[in-house]
Amino acid sequence: MKQIIELDINDEVHELAVEPYDSLLRTLRDRAGLQGTKKGCDSGGCGCCTVLVDGKAMYSCMTMVMSVQDKKITTVEGLPEGGELDPLQQAFIDAGAVQCGYCTCGIMMASKQLLNENPNPSEAEIRKGISGNLCRCTGYQKIVEAIQLAAAATKNG
Amino acid sequence: MALTSVQSFYSPEDNKTVIELLDKHEDSALIVAGGTFLHGLVSRGLLSGIEALISIQKLGLNKIDVGKGAISIGATTLLGQLKGCPQVQQESWLGAIKDAMEYPPVQIMNSGTIGGSISSSCPFFDFPVSLLALDGSVQAEGGSGSRDIPLQEFFAGLFENSLASDEFVTGVSIPVPSKSSTSAFIKMETNANDLAILNVGVRLTMGDAGICDEARVFVGGGVGESPVRSPSAEAALTGGAVDNDAIDLAGQAVLADVDPLSDHRASADYRKAMSGVLLKRALKSAMQRLS
Repeated sequence: MKQIIELDINDEVHELAVEPYDSLLRTLRDRAGLQGTKKGCDSGGCGCCTVLVDGKAMYSCMTMVMSVQDKKITTVEGLPEGGELDPLQQAFIDAGAVQCGYCTCGIMMASKQLLNENPNPSEAEIRKGISGNLCRCTGYQKIVEAIQLAAAATKNG
Repeated sequence: MALTSVQSFYSPEDNKTVIELLDKHEDSALIVAGGTFLHGLVSRGLLSGIEALISIQKLGLNKIDVGKGAISIGATTLLGQLKGCPQVQQESWLGAIKDAMEYPPVQIMNSGTIGGSISSSCPFFDFPVSLLALDGSVQAEGGSGSRDIPLQEFFAGLFENSLASDEFVTGVSIPVPSKSSTSAFIKMETNANDLAILNVGVRLTMGDAGICDEARVFVGGGVGESPVRSPSAEAALTGGAVDNDAIDLAGQAVLADVDPLSDHRASADYRKAMSGVLLKRALKSAMQRLS
Protein backbone atom coordinates (compact mmCIF):
# COMPACT_ATOMS: atom_id res chain seq x y z
CA MET A 1 0.00 0.00 0.00
CA LYS A 2 1.35 3.40 -0.94
CA GLN A 3 2.23 5.92 1.70
CA ILE A 4 3.20 9.58 1.56
CA ILE A 5 6.79 10.46 2.41
CA GLU A 6 8.83 13.64 2.23
CA LEU A 7 12.11 13.50 0.38
CA ASP A 8 14.74 16.23 0.07
CA ILE A 9 15.83 16.08 -3.56
CA ASN A 10 18.17 18.80 -4.83
CA ASP A 11 17.32 21.05 -1.85
CA GLU A 12 13.62 20.84 -2.56
CA VAL A 13 11.24 18.86 -0.37
CA HIS A 14 9.05 16.54 -2.45
CA GLU A 15 5.92 14.93 -1.09
CA LEU A 16 5.67 11.57 -2.79
CA ALA A 17 3.41 8.53 -2.69
CA VAL A 18 5.66 5.46 -2.60
CA GLU A 19 5.36 1.71 -2.08
CA PRO A 20 7.31 0.39 0.93
CA TYR A 21 9.52 -1.64 -1.43
CA ASP A 22 10.31 1.21 -3.85
CA SER A 23 13.92 1.85 -4.69
CA LEU A 24 15.26 5.39 -4.67
CA LEU A 25 15.73 5.02 -8.44
CA ARG A 26 12.08 4.22 -9.08
CA THR A 27 11.03 7.03 -6.76
CA LEU A 28 13.19 9.58 -8.56
CA ARG A 29 12.18 8.55 -12.08
CA ASP A 30 8.58 7.41 -11.73
CA ARG A 31 7.32 9.27 -8.65
CA ALA A 32 9.26 12.56 -8.75
CA GLY A 33 9.62 12.73 -12.53
CA LEU A 34 13.36 13.31 -12.39
CA GLN A 35 14.63 11.19 -15.25
CA GLY A 36 18.23 12.37 -15.38
CA THR A 37 19.08 9.41 -13.17
CA LYS A 38 19.21 6.42 -15.51
CA LYS A 39 18.07 2.86 -15.03
CA GLY A 40 20.66 0.45 -16.39
CA CYS A 41 21.12 -3.02 -14.95
CA ASP A 42 18.90 -2.30 -11.93
CA SER A 43 21.13 -4.53 -9.80
CA GLY A 44 24.15 -2.47 -8.81
CA GLY A 45 26.40 -3.56 -11.64
CA CYS A 46 26.58 -0.59 -14.00
CA GLY A 47 26.45 2.67 -12.01
CA CYS A 48 24.04 4.55 -14.35
CA CYS A 49 21.72 5.22 -11.41
CA THR A 50 24.37 6.78 -9.14
CA VAL A 51 23.13 9.71 -7.05
CA LEU A 52 24.52 11.44 -3.95
CA VAL A 53 22.96 10.68 -0.58
CA ASP A 54 24.25 13.18 1.99
CA GLY A 55 27.10 13.82 -0.45
CA LYS A 56 28.03 10.15 -0.84
CA ALA A 57 27.67 8.32 -4.17
CA MET A 58 25.24 5.42 -4.03
CA TYR A 59 23.45 3.15 -6.46
CA SER A 60 19.87 4.43 -6.29
CA CYS A 61 18.60 1.11 -7.70
CA MET A 62 19.85 -0.66 -4.58
CA THR A 63 18.81 1.99 -2.08
CA MET A 64 15.43 1.57 -0.41
CA VAL A 65 13.64 4.92 -0.54
CA MET A 66 12.23 4.36 2.94
CA SER A 67 15.74 4.33 4.36
CA VAL A 68 16.77 7.75 2.99
CA GLN A 69 13.84 9.87 4.15
CA ASP A 70 15.99 11.98 6.46
CA LYS A 71 18.84 12.41 3.95
CA LYS A 72 19.69 14.93 1.25
CA ILE A 73 19.48 13.45 -2.24
CA THR A 74 21.38 15.07 -5.10
CA THR A 75 20.72 14.01 -8.69
CA VAL A 76 22.24 15.29 -11.92
CA GLU A 77 19.40 17.84 -12.10
CA GLY A 78 20.81 19.33 -8.89
CA LEU A 79 24.35 19.84 -10.20
CA PRO A 80 23.96 23.29 -11.85
CA GLU A 81 24.14 26.29 -9.55
CA GLY A 82 22.57 29.67 -10.34
CA GLY A 83 21.82 28.65 -13.91
CA GLU A 84 25.46 27.72 -14.53
CA LEU A 85 26.50 24.18 -15.37
CA ASP A 86 28.62 22.43 -12.76
CA PRO A 87 32.32 22.36 -13.77
CA LEU A 88 31.93 18.60 -14.25
CA GLN A 89 29.08 19.04 -16.72
CA GLN A 90 30.98 21.71 -18.65
CA ALA A 91 34.10 19.54 -18.69
CA PHE A 92 32.21 16.53 -20.08
CA ILE A 93 31.02 18.77 -22.93
CA ASP A 94 34.44 20.33 -23.52
CA ALA A 95 36.31 17.02 -23.45
CA GLY A 96 33.76 15.27 -25.68
CA ALA A 97 33.33 12.68 -22.96
CA VAL A 98 29.81 11.70 -24.00
CA GLN A 99 29.10 9.03 -26.60
CA CYS A 100 25.66 7.46 -26.20
CA GLY A 101 25.32 9.39 -22.93
CA TYR A 102 23.57 6.75 -20.90
CA CYS A 103 26.34 6.34 -18.31
CA THR A 104 27.19 10.05 -18.19
CA CYS A 105 24.94 11.21 -15.36
CA GLY A 106 26.01 8.36 -13.09
CA ILE A 107 29.67 8.95 -13.80
CA MET A 108 29.32 12.68 -13.11
CA MET A 109 27.67 11.92 -9.75
CA ALA A 110 30.41 9.47 -8.74
CA SER A 111 32.99 12.05 -9.88
CA LYS A 112 31.25 14.73 -7.83
CA GLN A 113 31.98 12.88 -4.59
CA LEU A 114 35.53 12.21 -5.77
CA LEU A 115 36.27 15.89 -6.49
CA ASN A 116 34.51 17.06 -3.32
CA GLU A 117 36.80 14.88 -1.24
CA ASN A 118 39.91 14.98 -3.39
CA PRO A 119 40.04 18.19 -5.51
CA ASN A 120 43.29 17.16 -7.19
CA PRO A 121 43.05 13.41 -7.94
CA SER A 122 45.68 11.43 -9.82
CA GLU A 123 44.63 9.50 -12.91
CA ALA A 124 44.68 6.28 -10.86
CA GLU A 125 42.46 7.88 -8.22
CA ILE A 126 40.02 9.01 -10.92
CA ARG A 127 39.87 5.52 -12.41
CA LYS A 128 39.30 4.03 -8.94
CA GLY A 129 36.67 6.70 -8.21
CA ILE A 130 34.59 5.69 -11.24
CA SER A 131 35.31 1.94 -11.02
CA GLY A 132 31.69 1.36 -10.01
CA ASN A 133 30.45 2.83 -13.31
CA LEU A 134 30.50 1.13 -16.69
CA CYS A 135 30.63 2.91 -20.06
CA ARG A 136 29.47 0.41 -22.66
CA CYS A 137 30.79 2.70 -25.41
CA THR A 138 34.16 2.22 -23.62
CA GLY A 139 34.91 5.93 -23.82
CA TYR A 140 36.87 5.92 -20.58
CA GLN A 141 39.84 7.93 -21.82
CA LYS A 142 37.73 11.02 -22.59
CA ILE A 143 35.82 10.56 -19.35
CA VAL A 144 39.06 10.55 -17.33
CA GLU A 145 40.19 13.64 -19.26
CA ALA A 146 36.90 15.39 -18.49
CA ILE A 147 37.28 14.74 -14.77
CA GLN A 148 40.85 16.06 -14.90
CA LEU A 149 39.53 19.13 -16.72
CA ALA A 150 36.82 19.64 -14.12
CA ALA A 151 39.40 19.35 -11.32
CA ALA A 152 41.56 21.98 -12.99
CA ALA A 153 38.58 24.28 -13.65
CA THR A 154 37.43 23.99 -10.03
CA LYS A 155 40.93 24.81 -8.79
CA ASN A 156 41.31 27.81 -11.07
CA GLY A 157 37.74 29.00 -10.74
CA MET B 1 12.64 -5.90 -10.14
CA ALA B 2 10.88 -5.11 -6.92
CA LEU B 3 9.82 -7.02 -3.87
CA THR B 4 6.14 -6.31 -4.41
CA SER B 5 4.98 -8.58 -1.61
CA VAL B 6 6.33 -6.10 0.96
CA GLN B 7 3.57 -4.39 2.93
CA SER B 8 5.57 -2.69 5.68
CA PHE B 9 8.94 -1.06 6.15
CA TYR B 10 9.94 -0.71 9.81
CA SER B 11 12.77 1.40 11.24
CA PRO B 12 12.84 0.45 14.94
CA GLU B 13 15.17 2.23 17.33
CA ASP B 14 15.94 -0.58 19.75
CA ASN B 15 16.93 -4.24 19.50
CA LYS B 16 13.91 -5.43 21.47
CA THR B 17 11.49 -4.07 18.88
CA VAL B 18 13.47 -5.74 16.08
CA ILE B 19 13.14 -9.10 17.85
CA GLU B 20 9.41 -8.54 18.48
CA LEU B 21 8.91 -7.75 14.79
CA LEU B 22 10.88 -10.83 13.75
CA ASP B 23 8.80 -12.91 16.13
CA LYS B 24 5.57 -11.43 14.81
CA HIS B 25 6.35 -11.79 11.11
CA GLU B 26 8.45 -14.98 11.34
CA ASP B 27 9.69 -16.06 7.90
CA SER B 28 7.94 -13.21 6.10
CA ALA B 29 10.29 -10.60 7.62
CA LEU B 30 13.71 -9.63 6.37
CA ILE B 31 16.34 -7.54 8.11
CA VAL B 32 17.86 -4.83 5.90
CA ALA B 33 20.61 -2.27 6.41
CA GLY B 34 22.32 -0.92 3.27
CA GLY B 35 19.97 -3.13 1.23
CA THR B 36 22.56 -3.57 -1.51
CA PHE B 37 22.13 -7.34 -1.85
CA LEU B 38 18.35 -7.34 -1.62
CA HIS B 39 17.93 -6.69 -5.34
CA GLY B 40 20.43 -9.42 -6.15
CA LEU B 41 18.37 -11.94 -4.20
CA VAL B 42 15.07 -10.75 -5.68
CA SER B 43 16.34 -10.87 -9.25
CA ARG B 44 17.61 -14.42 -8.73
CA GLY B 45 14.19 -15.47 -7.46
CA LEU B 46 15.67 -16.29 -4.06
CA LEU B 47 13.24 -14.21 -2.03
CA SER B 48 9.54 -14.79 -1.90
CA GLY B 49 6.76 -14.12 0.54
CA ILE B 50 8.58 -11.22 2.21
CA GLU B 51 5.95 -8.93 3.72
CA ALA B 52 8.00 -6.85 6.15
CA LEU B 53 11.38 -5.18 5.82
CA ILE B 54 13.01 -4.29 9.13
CA SER B 55 15.74 -1.69 8.83
CA ILE B 56 18.36 -1.85 11.59
CA GLN B 57 19.94 1.47 10.57
CA LYS B 58 18.59 3.32 13.62
CA LEU B 59 19.94 0.93 16.28
CA GLY B 60 23.28 2.71 16.59
CA LEU B 61 25.20 -0.39 15.48
CA ASN B 62 27.52 1.60 13.19
CA LYS B 63 30.51 1.63 15.54
CA ILE B 64 33.95 0.05 15.61
CA ASP B 65 35.26 -0.69 19.10
CA VAL B 66 38.98 -1.45 19.33
CA GLY B 67 39.39 -3.39 22.58
CA LYS B 68 42.44 -5.11 24.08
CA GLY B 69 41.22 -8.61 23.32
CA ALA B 70 39.12 -8.02 20.24
CA ILE B 71 37.97 -5.56 17.63
CA SER B 72 34.18 -5.37 17.57
CA ILE B 73 32.47 -4.06 14.46
CA GLY B 74 28.77 -3.16 14.63
CA ALA B 75 26.44 -4.63 12.02
CA THR B 76 25.60 -1.35 10.29
CA THR B 77 29.22 -0.20 10.06
CA LEU B 78 29.77 0.77 6.43
CA LEU B 79 32.52 -0.92 4.43
CA GLY B 80 33.98 2.56 3.91
CA GLN B 81 34.03 3.15 7.67
CA LEU B 82 35.95 -0.07 8.25
CA LYS B 83 38.42 0.85 5.51
CA GLY B 84 39.07 4.15 7.30
CA CYS B 85 39.73 2.49 10.67
CA PRO B 86 43.38 3.32 11.57
CA GLN B 87 44.10 -0.19 12.91
CA VAL B 88 42.88 -1.73 9.65
CA GLN B 89 45.19 0.54 7.70
CA GLN B 90 48.24 -0.01 9.91
CA GLU B 91 48.26 -3.45 11.58
CA SER B 92 49.76 -6.31 9.57
CA TRP B 93 47.51 -8.87 11.29
CA LEU B 94 44.48 -7.02 9.89
CA GLY B 95 45.98 -6.97 6.38
CA ALA B 96 43.32 -9.35 5.02
CA ILE B 97 40.60 -6.87 6.01
CA LYS B 98 42.53 -3.95 4.52
CA ASP B 99 42.96 -5.88 1.26
CA ALA B 100 39.27 -6.87 1.07
CA MET B 101 38.25 -3.23 1.46
CA GLU B 102 40.33 -2.20 -1.58
CA TYR B 103 38.03 -3.88 -4.10
CA PRO B 104 34.47 -2.50 -3.82
CA PRO B 105 33.57 0.61 -5.83
CA VAL B 106 32.76 3.80 -3.95
CA GLN B 107 28.99 3.27 -4.21
CA ILE B 108 29.24 -0.01 -2.30
CA MET B 109 31.73 1.38 0.22
CA ASN B 110 29.15 4.10 0.98
CA SER B 111 26.17 1.81 1.49
CA GLY B 112 27.19 -1.82 2.04
CA THR B 113 27.45 -2.87 5.68
CA ILE B 114 29.54 -5.36 7.59
CA GLY B 115 26.46 -7.12 8.99
CA GLY B 116 24.92 -7.38 5.54
CA SER B 117 28.05 -8.83 3.98
CA ILE B 118 28.01 -11.57 6.62
CA SER B 119 24.31 -12.33 7.00
CA SER B 120 23.71 -12.47 3.23
CA SER B 121 25.73 -15.71 3.47
CA CYS B 122 26.84 -15.26 -0.12
CA PRO B 123 29.89 -17.38 -1.01
CA PHE B 124 31.04 -14.81 -3.57
CA PHE B 125 31.52 -11.99 -1.05
CA ASP B 126 34.97 -10.80 0.01
CA PHE B 127 34.73 -9.61 3.62
CA PRO B 128 33.58 -13.00 5.00
CA VAL B 129 36.66 -14.76 3.57
CA SER B 130 39.01 -12.21 5.15
CA LEU B 131 37.13 -12.49 8.45
CA LEU B 132 37.28 -16.29 8.38
CA ALA B 133 41.07 -16.12 8.02
CA LEU B 134 41.17 -14.02 11.21
CA ASP B 135 39.00 -16.47 13.21
CA GLY B 136 36.20 -13.90 13.34
CA SER B 137 32.88 -14.52 14.99
CA VAL B 138 29.34 -13.19 14.63
CA GLN B 139 27.24 -11.62 17.39
CA ALA B 140 23.55 -12.37 17.09
CA GLU B 141 20.64 -11.29 19.21
CA GLY B 142 17.22 -12.90 19.49
CA GLY B 143 14.37 -13.85 21.78
CA SER B 144 16.59 -16.13 23.84
CA GLY B 145 19.34 -13.53 24.30
CA SER B 146 22.59 -12.80 22.54
CA ARG B 147 25.22 -15.27 21.44
CA ASP B 148 28.57 -15.44 19.73
CA ILE B 149 28.82 -17.73 16.71
CA PRO B 150 32.19 -18.66 15.16
CA LEU B 151 31.93 -17.50 11.56
CA GLN B 152 32.67 -20.97 10.21
CA GLU B 153 29.63 -22.33 12.05
CA PHE B 154 27.49 -19.38 10.98
CA PHE B 155 27.38 -20.25 7.27
CA ALA B 156 25.02 -23.10 6.46
CA GLY B 157 24.98 -23.27 2.65
CA LEU B 158 24.18 -20.99 -0.26
CA PHE B 159 22.47 -17.86 1.16
CA GLU B 160 21.72 -19.86 4.32
CA ASN B 161 22.96 -19.32 7.86
CA SER B 162 22.43 -20.72 11.32
CA LEU B 163 20.39 -17.81 12.69
CA ALA B 164 17.07 -18.65 14.31
CA SER B 165 14.06 -16.93 12.76
CA ASP B 166 13.91 -14.38 15.61
CA GLU B 167 17.65 -13.64 15.58
CA PHE B 168 19.60 -10.97 13.75
CA VAL B 169 23.28 -10.07 13.40
CA THR B 170 24.35 -7.17 15.64
CA GLY B 171 28.04 -7.25 14.78
CA VAL B 172 31.22 -9.20 14.25
CA SER B 173 34.28 -9.62 16.39
CA ILE B 174 37.93 -10.27 15.53
CA PRO B 175 40.22 -11.63 18.27
CA VAL B 176 43.49 -9.70 18.66
CA PRO B 177 46.31 -12.25 18.22
CA SER B 178 48.68 -12.72 21.15
CA LYS B 179 51.66 -13.36 18.87
CA SER B 180 53.11 -11.69 15.81
CA SER B 181 50.64 -12.30 13.04
CA THR B 182 50.11 -11.25 9.45
CA SER B 183 47.30 -11.71 6.97
CA ALA B 184 46.31 -10.98 3.39
CA PHE B 185 43.39 -11.34 0.99
CA ILE B 186 43.21 -11.53 -2.81
CA LYS B 187 40.20 -11.42 -5.10
CA MET B 188 40.04 -12.43 -8.74
CA GLU B 189 37.25 -10.63 -10.60
CA THR B 190 36.06 -10.05 -14.15
CA ASN B 191 35.69 -6.29 -13.67
CA ALA B 192 35.93 -3.83 -10.81
CA ASN B 193 32.28 -4.22 -9.94
CA ASP B 194 31.66 -7.96 -10.08
CA LEU B 195 31.45 -10.70 -7.50
CA ALA B 196 34.55 -12.83 -7.09
CA ILE B 197 35.53 -15.58 -9.50
CA LEU B 198 37.70 -16.71 -6.62
CA ASN B 199 39.05 -15.17 -3.45
CA VAL B 200 41.58 -16.25 -0.85
CA GLY B 201 42.20 -15.15 2.73
CA VAL B 202 45.28 -16.21 4.72
CA ARG B 203 46.66 -15.58 8.18
CA LEU B 204 50.05 -16.65 9.50
CA THR B 205 50.94 -16.58 13.19
CA MET B 206 54.70 -16.44 13.47
CA GLY B 207 56.67 -17.80 16.42
CA ASP B 208 60.34 -17.43 17.30
CA ALA B 209 62.98 -17.55 14.58
CA GLY B 210 60.48 -17.10 11.76
CA ILE B 211 58.67 -20.40 12.32
CA CYS B 212 54.98 -20.44 11.45
CA ASP B 213 53.04 -21.60 14.51
CA GLU B 214 49.60 -21.49 12.98
CA ALA B 215 48.12 -20.89 9.54
CA ARG B 216 44.62 -20.19 8.28
CA VAL B 217 43.71 -20.63 4.65
CA PHE B 218 40.21 -19.98 3.30
CA VAL B 219 39.08 -20.00 -0.32
CA GLY B 220 35.79 -18.46 -1.43
CA GLY B 221 34.02 -17.20 -4.53
CA GLY B 222 32.52 -20.20 -6.24
CA VAL B 223 34.49 -22.99 -4.59
CA GLY B 224 31.43 -24.13 -2.69
CA GLU B 225 28.15 -23.02 -1.14
CA SER B 226 30.20 -21.40 1.61
CA PRO B 227 33.89 -20.46 1.74
CA VAL B 228 36.13 -23.51 2.15
CA ARG B 229 38.94 -23.98 4.64
CA SER B 230 42.08 -25.77 3.46
CA PRO B 231 43.59 -27.92 6.24
CA SER B 232 46.10 -29.36 3.72
CA ALA B 233 47.52 -25.94 2.86
CA GLU B 234 47.54 -24.97 6.54
CA ALA B 235 49.52 -28.14 7.39
CA ALA B 236 52.02 -27.38 4.61
CA LEU B 237 52.67 -23.96 6.16
CA THR B 238 52.79 -24.87 9.86
CA GLY B 239 55.97 -25.75 11.74
CA GLY B 240 58.54 -24.24 9.38
CA ALA B 241 59.65 -21.06 7.71
CA VAL B 242 57.21 -19.59 5.20
CA ASP B 243 59.76 -19.50 2.38
CA ASN B 244 59.23 -19.97 -1.34
CA ASP B 245 59.33 -23.76 -1.00
CA ALA B 246 56.66 -23.79 1.71
CA ILE B 247 54.54 -21.37 -0.32
CA ASP B 248 54.81 -23.61 -3.41
CA LEU B 249 53.86 -26.66 -1.33
CA ALA B 250 50.83 -24.84 0.09
CA GLY B 251 49.82 -23.80 -3.44
CA GLN B 252 49.78 -27.49 -4.40
CA ALA B 253 48.20 -28.70 -1.18
CA VAL B 254 45.17 -26.41 -1.44
CA LEU B 255 44.07 -28.20 -4.62
CA ALA B 256 43.17 -31.29 -2.54
CA ASP B 257 40.65 -29.32 -0.51
CA VAL B 258 38.73 -27.41 -3.17
CA ASP B 259 36.07 -28.84 -5.45
CA PRO B 260 34.80 -25.66 -7.15
CA LEU B 261 31.59 -24.87 -9.01
CA SER B 262 31.30 -24.04 -12.70
CA ASP B 263 29.23 -21.02 -13.63
CA HIS B 264 29.07 -18.11 -16.07
CA ARG B 265 32.13 -16.53 -14.42
CA ALA B 266 34.54 -19.45 -14.62
CA SER B 267 34.82 -23.22 -14.98
CA ALA B 268 35.51 -25.48 -12.03
CA ASP B 269 38.89 -26.46 -13.51
CA TYR B 270 39.95 -22.83 -13.88
CA ARG B 271 38.87 -21.99 -10.35
CA LYS B 272 40.77 -24.98 -9.00
CA ALA B 273 43.97 -24.10 -10.83
CA MET B 274 43.72 -20.47 -9.79
CA SER B 275 43.14 -21.31 -6.13
CA GLY B 276 46.76 -22.47 -5.94
CA VAL B 277 48.02 -19.40 -7.79
CA LEU B 278 46.02 -16.94 -5.67
CA LEU B 279 47.02 -18.67 -2.44
CA LYS B 280 50.71 -18.29 -3.31
CA ARG B 281 50.21 -14.60 -4.10
CA ALA B 282 48.29 -14.05 -0.87
CA LEU B 283 50.98 -15.78 1.18
CA LYS B 284 53.73 -13.67 -0.40
CA SER B 285 51.72 -10.54 0.26
CA ALA B 286 51.19 -11.55 3.91
CA MET B 287 54.91 -12.24 4.38
CA GLN B 288 55.83 -8.90 2.79
CA ARG B 289 53.74 -7.19 5.45
CA LEU B 290 56.01 -8.64 8.14
CA SER B 291 59.22 -7.29 6.63
